[in-house]
Amino acid sequence: MTTTPAGAGGMIELKDVTKLYNEGRPNEVRAVAGANLVVERDKVTVFKGPSGSGKTTLLSIVGCLSRPTTGRVLLDGELVSGLPERFLTEVRRSTFGFVFQRFNLVRGLTVIDNVMLPAYPLAPPHAELRERALARLDALGLAGKAEMPVEHLSGGETQRAAIARALINDPKIVIADEPTANLDTALTERFLEIVAELRAEGRTVLMTSHDPRIWQSDLVDAVVEMRDGRIVGEFA
Amino acid sequence: MTSPFARQRYLIDYTLAALGRRRGKNAGLLAIYTLVVFVLASAMLFASAIRFESTAVLADAPELTVQELVMGRHGLLPADHLDKLSAIRGVATVEGRLWGYFYDRANGANYTLMVPGRDAAEYSVGPGEAIIGEGLARSRGFKEGGALLLVSQTGKLLKARIKSVLSNDSALVSSDLALISEVDYRRFFELPDGVYTDAAVSIRNPREIAKIVEKATLALPSARFVTRSDIARTYESLFDWREGLLVALAAAAILAFAIFAAEKASGLSAEEAREIGILKAIGWDTTDIIAMKLWEGGLVSLGAFLLGTVLAYIHVFLFAAGLFEPVLKGWSVLYPDFALAPRIDALQLATLFVLTVIPYTAATLVPIWRTAVTDPDEVMR
Repeated sequence: MTTTPAGAGGMIELKDVTKLYNEGRPNEVRAVAGANLVVERDKVTVFKGPSGSGKTTLLSIVGCLSRPTTGRVLLDGELVSGLPERFLTEVRRSTFGFVFQRFNLVRGLTVIDNVMLPAYPLAPPHAELRERALARLDALGLAGKAEMPVEHLSGGETQRAAIARALINDPKIVIADEPTANLDTALTERFLEIVAELRAEGRTVLMTSHDPRIWQSDLVDAVVEMRDGRIVGEFA
Repeated sequence: MTSPFARQRYLIDYTLAALGRRRGKNAGLLAIYTLVVFVLASAMLFASAIRFESTAVLADAPELTVQELVMGRHGLLPADHLDKLSAIRGVATVEGRLWGYFYDRANGANYTLMVPGRDAAEYSVGPGEAIIGEGLARSRGFKEGGALLLVSQTGKLLKARIKSVLSNDSALVSSDLALISEVDYRRFFELPDGVYTDAAVSIRNPREIAKIVEKATLALPSARFVTRSDIARTYESLFDWREGLLVALAAAAILAFAIFAAEKASGLSAEEAREIGILKAIGWDTTDIIAMKLWEGGLVSLGAFLLGTVLAYIHVFLFAAGLFEPVLKGWSVLYPDFALAPRIDALQLATLFVLTVIPYTAATLVPIWRTAVTDPDEVMR
């Protein structure tokens, strides 16, 4: 077993992180076991591994969507895993943008309303927020579909709408869980172009993927391999 | 700095969109909720208005009514009792009254036959004349100028020209009433001179009524004394009882609503929970989610409360509480047909608000809070 030792200077550091589901019950699952990792700033990192290897869980812990059962998570040297819920939300909102595997757009709302949702708690002037959302959609080729209900979008369009939503609060880190799982080759290439743009803008990108087209891409700076909840390798 | 008002505006925008997305479910909820409020508000508005009405009508009732008791039951009052009452200091006037009930086989209803008092000049009737209540006129098709024809159980005929039909204003107590002359009354009921049904006593100083009743009790030990406030209290308790009956019926609706609220409190649908998880994941606070759901519950419950109350107001004051009439109105077979003066008791409305809006809103908050404080990843899974 190979683990990546934690080191200084990383944007995100995981130290002996373990995550148990249904702790203490007969159906207890150890999703992540003793993970140590450093994620570098402004890099594209991909977590690969078979289903159930703990990639998504680890990404959730990194993105403050879930707390580790044991271990610590540091963001820019600050411990975030022990923060109370309201501070953790603040960290999540100001630092991360998420593109979920099933995109998780809110059905029944228009594309632009979905894109603006993460900014609602910040309550910027409505016109300004709308302008910002339209600019994001325009950059992703979706300006013409801004007023369309999200359920009318194609798979690729839905993914781009989810990316626009992830970027609305201008996050430093973008997290994408299996972003190309349901996309064909052309759309996967388009996604990689978007990732290249994000990196060029100075954002850190973390992804999970089964897809060799993703983790074999030249864009990717680091690949972390997982199996049975453990980090078993890291490749630059 | 984030403006709390702007933040709430965004939350309201989202709430309205959420209500629109689940419009079928929300419309059903609103309908059930409105129905419960409608039933309760109708009962409350009606009872409150009718109590006020009865109090207003009874304001003209005598301050003291004296009845003779025979073996504990209401008997005829000898005329010499009137003299004894008149002799009591503080008594202004004493008037023997004649009234009784007549069962009309023609429509199975009881009428109240009465001789108008001396002071009631506008209701004075001579021999062969009658003034009748609106319910009696309606049920038998009697009209002003026509003939009132009644046949007693012993075959005595009462035939009187209908001088007028009483207005709806006093329908609560006059719906089944027929005012006839003393001569006609005594002949119809075969009642000898020198006895009365009871006596109406007016008092110089109403604050001395207790003292006068005390003296009258000594003078007429076999009599019963009923004050105006006693009658009003009887009316009140009668209507309280009827209102209680309706509220008991409404309890079934409330129970159904409570089960619904409990179901709501026990958990969220998978779709709702997932939506909360998404909102949390993309940066909404637990307080944002609770505020949004408070707006949602508040809008539904407040909407239902207002709608139910307005519908109840229309039902009670414009349609004379048609749905609950048999339960709530009067005690006669001839139900009064009169419009109630619009009257709203603020305390009752506030009670209704507290009993309906707050429990529902609180019930919806429990599962929301439970979900909102869970890690977003766990909720979305």
